[in-house]
Amino acid sequence: MSIVKMQRIAVVGLDQEKEFIMSQLMDFGAVELVDQKAKLTEEDWGSMVTLDESYGKDADLDAKILKAETSLRFLEKYDSAKGPLFKTRRRVDSEQLSQINVQKEETETTIEEILRLEDTLRETKEKINKLSQDEIFLEPWKNYNLPLELQKTSKALFCTGAVPISWDMSVLMKETEEIGGVVMKVISTDRDLNYIAFVSLISKEEQVMDVLKKKGFSTISFKGFKGTVGENLARISEEKSALETEVKAIEEKAANLAHLRHCIEEYSDIITIEADKEKIKTKLLKTKKSFYLEGWIPTRLIPKAKELLEGMSCCYGFEEPKEEDEVPVLLDNKDFFVPFESITEMYSLPAYRGFDPTSIYALFYAVFFGMMLSDAGYGIIMALGCFVVLRKFNLEGGTYKMIKLFFYCGISTIIWGALFGGWFGDFVQVFARTILGKEVTIAPLWFNPLDDPMKLLIFSLALGIIHLFIGMGIKAYTQIKDGHWFDALCDVGFWYFTIIGLISWLGGGMISDALPTIGKWLAIIGAAGLLLTGGRHNKGFGKITGGLGNIYNVTGYMSDILSYARLLALGLATGVIAQVVNTMGSLFGGGIFGLIALLVIFVFGHTLNIAINALGAFIHASRLQYVEFFGKFYEDGGEPFNPFRKKTKYIRIDQEEEEK
Amino acid sequence: MNMIDGNTLALIGAAIAALAGIGSAMGVGIAGQAASAVLAEDPKKFGRTLILQALPGTQGIYGLIISFLIMQKIGLLGGAMLDLTIAQGSYFLIAGIPIGLVGIWSGIAQGKAAAAALQLTSKRPDQMVKGIIYTAMVETYAIFALLVSVLIWLRVAV
Repeated sequence: MSIVKMQRIAVVGLDQEKEFIMSQLMDFGAVELVDQKAKLTEEDWGSMVTLDESYGKDADLDAKILKAETSLRFLEKYDSAKGPLFKTRRRVDSEQLSQINVQKEETETTIEEILRLEDTLRETKEKINKLSQDEIFLEPWKNYNLPLELQKTSKALFCTGAVPISWDMSVLMKETEEIGGVVMKVISTDRDLNYIAFVSLISKEEQVMDVLKKKGFSTISFKGFKGTVGENLARISEEKSALETEVKAIEEKAANLAHLRHCIEEYSDIITIEADKEKIKTKLLKTKKSFYLEGWIPTRLIPKAKELLEGMSCCYGFEEPKEEDEVPVLLDNKDFFVPFESITEMYSLPAYRGFDPTSIYALFYAVFFGMMLSDAGYGIIMALGCFVVLRKFNLEGGTYKMIKLFFYCGISTIIWGALFGGWFGDFVQVFARTILGKEVTIAPLWFNPLDDPMKLLIFSLALGIIHLFIGMGIKAYTQIKDGHWFDALCDVGFWYFTIIGLISWLGGGMISDALPTIGKWLAIIGAAGLLLTGGRHNKGFGKITGGLGNIYNVTGYMSDILSYARLLALGLATGVIAQVVNTMGSLFGGGIFGLIALLVIFVFGHTLNIAINALGAFIHASRLQYVEFFGKFYEDGGEPFNPFRKKTKYIRIDQEEEEK
Repeated sequence: MNMIDGNTLALIGAAIAALAGIGSAMGVGIAGQAASAVLAEDPKKFGRTLILQALPGTQGIYGLIISFLIMQKIGLLGGAMLDLTIAQGSYFLIAGIPIGLVGIWSGIAQGKAAAAALQLTSKRPDQMVKGIIYTAMVETYAIFALLVSVLIWLRVAV
């Protein structure tokens, strides 16, 4: 339950051993290298060292990765095998790894081939597009039987074009007829245009054009076409179908290459590792014959690192982080708590010198989630689903944590559902009543919240107060650890007094007659303490207003506590919606038809209810941590620990197991 | 003849509770517009955007819950309706008001928050969950209204 302690590591080595040492460090995978540019401006460093570079090699490698990824995306489209629900990395041992290395060039040829295939496919599709456009262009001219290249004879002019349909064609015809020496015909008409063709004497051209221009005529030219429209359309459809067969052939080829995806994925990963090795060099410093690196390493791994570096010709040293250092943060929790780290990470990692509360709130998180979903049936589905996924898929990292988290939450939901007596709402009762005609009761192990909501409300708020007090306790703990015990008393202790005092003053009478009096005095002591110390960091007049402001915070605490009422409200919501679903199912009565209707509505309704309320429970359980709990003490802003290691997407190299 | 009896009042209560759906409809609509804009850039984000779009939908469900609870308690769903007194009817009417009214405005406000969260998701997909949390902050007040409605409903003796 803590943040891993780190130490600074520095290594000086000979240039000729650099590659070897770097790849050893990469295999070791537990050192985060830190950029050393700042040292160049320091006087004693700047004169000695320069920045190491990769001389453009990484750009070459990046280009290779891009090609591999492009070809993968292309193949994915034509792979008939369905992808799994969760992508997991394949295990690869060192023997297979060297095999992949041997096949590298072969894979590169394959990639080139695939990329060429993609290019041809694109070109062919473009050609088809062009042909389709031509087809649409020629479509209105289907009945125009003259060869399209015919534009002029020695005396006559052939012209085609279009006029908006808003103009009356008969008027137009008449006007052109009056000029004489013109034959005009409407070829076709669509929504906007009349397509017309005319033949005129060359000598009359200007006159005809004058008339036509006034009617919004625009010429349509068939440049590049030969033969009649009919011939052209026939040619186009022929060419198109030829190209379409070609597309099919290419797609088939791509589908046949799809089995090579694994090879390409492995290749992509290997090149990524190489590229990372190159890129990391920009974080090193070098002199003519030596190099220098600096970074962070988890303290517990120092013996191992020493063992590793001892065998190489280099100097190294370790150092505790200084006050002003920005140390990367790695969380370290016991097995059960690991999944809850994802909730902490989602908020923002704690500062290196802060506090990792994951293991403290984990149980609360599961309890809150369970109370809000609060249906044993839903819990079983969630837990079972997650269990199957965890068994079937070899998940890692964030996905693993999330699924495991939902597994725990599902179990908690089963427990709370059983306590409150919800098994798919009242499905069993409804089923027995409508279909079997019997009355069944499932007694809740504790009580049904609908029967006594006040009891659950008080329970929720009590749970909230404990949760909040723990959060405040963490603040006090860190303050005391830093030696500020007086601050701990003022900021946390007095609040404990005030809140506990107020509660027993107002509500203690139900338990014992003495409690209200004790509570009253406790609250007065607490409030007095808050009033006197609230402005202790202020000056002059601020000492008084600070105290008053501090007292006013009591409303903040009250609203924090009341916020936990959502545990009751969302729990009720799940239960009532489940009941609504069951009631709707039962409206169709008994018999076979009633049974089918009940089951169909059961599946749809409860699926919807699980989806909505599981999302709600997840969000609001997180919110109670983030706003109410973290708000009391959390210092965030840690940068995640990002060690130099083999970062692969598709394969999992066996030797990297030990360290995450 | 008295036009308004207890049953009428109770049904008005159920109807008012269902008005929370106005808020949800508008909220889901606002979020839906933003979701389409996000999807135009990256069609792969459909699942993610759908979750955010659905968030303002809960107010309508809360309204439905109260409507349903009222209808169930006055026997509208199971055959014969009870004969309620004016007082009982008024209590049911009052029970419908908190979720009915708060649902409308919180649904709209939540829709706007969801739309902003969708924009966040389009630029920084990794930050989506935080957008969800921001959006869910609005819902708190609909949940409280639901709670008040339920507590009033529970106290009505029929």
